[in-house]
Amino acid sequence: MEKLLQVENLKVRFKTNEGYVSTVNGVSLEMKKGEILAIVGESGSGKSVTSLSILDILPPNGEVYDGEVYLEDKNLNKISKNEYRKLRGKEMSMIFQEPMTALNPVFTIGFQLRESLQLNLKMKKSEATKKGIEMLELVGIPDAEKVMTRFPHQLSGGMRQRVMIAIALSCDPKLLIADEPTTALDVTIQKQILKLMKNIREKLNTGILIITHDLGVVAEIADRVAVMYAGEIVEEASVFELFKNPKHPYTRGLMASIPKIHDVVDKLHSIEGMVPNPAEMPSGCKFHPRCPLADNECVSNHPKLEKISDTHAKRCFKV
Amino acid sequence: MNKILENSIEKKVVLEARDLKKHFEISKGIIKREKVNVKAVDGINFKVYDGETLGIVGESGCGKSTTGELLLGLLEPTAGEVIFNDVNLSKMSQEELRLARKDLQVIFQDPYSSLNPRMTVEEIISEPLIVHNIMKGKKLKTRVKELMNLVGLQEHQLKRFPHEFSGGQRQRIGIARALALDPKVIVCDEAVSALDVSIQAQILNLLKKLQDELDLTFVFIAHGLPTVRHISDRIAVMYLGKVVELADKNELFDNPLHPYTHGLLLSVPVPDPELRKDDPTTMKGEIPSPSNPPSGCHFHPRCKFATEKCKELVPEFREIIDNHYLACHHPLIKEDNEVFDTSND
Repeated sequence: MEKLLQVENLKVRFKTNEGYVSTVNGVSLEMKKGEILAIVGESGSGKSVTSLSILDILPPNGEVYDGEVYLEDKNLNKISKNEYRKLRGKEMSMIFQEPMTALNPVFTIGFQLRESLQLNLKMKKSEATKKGIEMLELVGIPDAEKVMTRFPHQLSGGMRQRVMIAIALSCDPKLLIADEPTTALDVTIQKQILKLMKNIREKLNTGILIITHDLGVVAEIADRVAVMYAGEIVEEASVFELFKNPKHPYTRGLMASIPKIHDVVDKLHSIEGMVPNPAEMPSGCKFHPRCPLADNECVSNHPKLEKISDTHAKRCFKV
Repeated sequence: MNKILENSIEKKVVLEARDLKKHFEISKGIIKREKVNVKAVDGINFKVYDGETLGIVGESGCGKSTTGELLLGLLEPTAGEVIFNDVNLSKMSQEELRLARKDLQVIFQDPYSSLNPRMTVEEIISEPLIVHNIMKGKKLKTRVKELMNLVGLQEHQLKRFPHEFSGGQRQRIGIARALALDPKVIVCDEAVSALDVSIQAQILNLLKKLQDELDLTFVFIAHGLPTVRHISDRIAVMYLGKVVELADKNELFDNPLHPYTHGLLLSVPVPDPELRKDDPTTMKGEIPSPSNPPSGCHFHPRCKFATEKCKELVPEFREIIDNHYLACHHPLIKEDNEVFDTSND
């Protein structure tokens, strides 16, 4: 399969009152066309910042200070802000966690759908309306013509997320970034949205980068998974390998700490301590203060992400 | 044998909802002339036994949080009653209610907005003890330290403010505050939903430990089914203001009788890609607005077993097997093979 996205040694820092704080420390990723890659991690792991830097929409105090991003063969670090702007929405687009805040409350769904079509594809209004209705039907919204005239507050959470997906896909992007797309939704609706995203991939061959903290969602939808901790990828594998044979102690801890619906235990495994503050990163392996296997080597040396098979890599001395 | 034993030792009911209703009136229309009744909680019945954890699950808008507030006496019911230790909460005088509140505590979802940002941890935890005039001075200080240790916080953190803590630690502060008055019942409203998974496990384990040590009764309100199964003894499933099914947790998960419970269980993503399935049972549609619920059984428009009867007749909430309560005209009894063929599990 053809290469879609390549991220090389990405480093992102934020300017704060206490100086620069680095939240993404050398992330490398690769995605093929039509692939679904999941980035899993807890809050503060840098998973969202990674996705924002791919689109170049970091908040004003954030900057990419090292590393490169390629979309197909295009080096995105070498293009102007204006060119970047043309890529967003057209070649790559994003859906967010909260569809209420991501949609503009004072414009109709139809207006917001047409907006990107008219801007990016230079469509006429009537063409855009037609395409908009098509898109709404694609994402499974009944009575699409009527919904075009509605405002966001008139729709339910699940419907709003479908509208967001319709807008994101309207210009047929090659890459869709979904940041916690189902976290704010109820489980029955979550199931519907995940199914929709899988269908979209089948139909349009869109590559989907999904950011989530929910291993259940990962198992349901992803082809490959990257586990992030404290701004680094600590393990990367195909979804089947990762769940069958997790290597990194953090991944293992994460898997053991979720209550399973079909397998009831008395006491849940828990990872002691908490995610470190990016301003006070531990030395060596960043997971060592919470790791049951850590020894002196882990305190003083920083492990590299090494391949253990063609489809599996881990960042740990001990396993 | 076990059964006889269980029945002979009468379990003590601490909290009971009897035909409990809460309707909110909202104004609709351009000039807000139209009044609509939103039936947030519409006639629910259950008992909470001493020392158990009763889980309440449901999707957003099903009335689970309103139920929690009613149980705490924070909302006045439109009809029906909440019985705490044999006394009706809404019949209590202000003074009696104030005393009852010592025994009825709550842990909230969001550990950011539920702690006063201008108070230190010490002030937050000692506030209930001061308000109820229980202790002061040295005794108070010792008690606060004791509570901090109990929930796994360090004594040197006493003078810190909430913003200096992580989400999980803040939730521990909230728990310490709820425990301060030695309550009988704690309502946990989505108490771990806002936390990271590894922290969730810590808090769930802490709650279980505290329950054993302090003989607490929990009402655990949440939307995450695996979490609820983990912590509860019995589980009530709510849909549009009504309890549709209530049973022992294993019974409910292994043998769900209500089509909604069944669909809900199948919707939970299983953290194992090998079990990925494209089942056709994904529940259709969405939860309707509680201001205009469907006739008859509220679930009928989304239910594939619905018949004419379901559209017209509200199903009665009744004990269908021992300790398994249900409100459905067409329960998924095991003989009905058609039902279980579609589930693949």
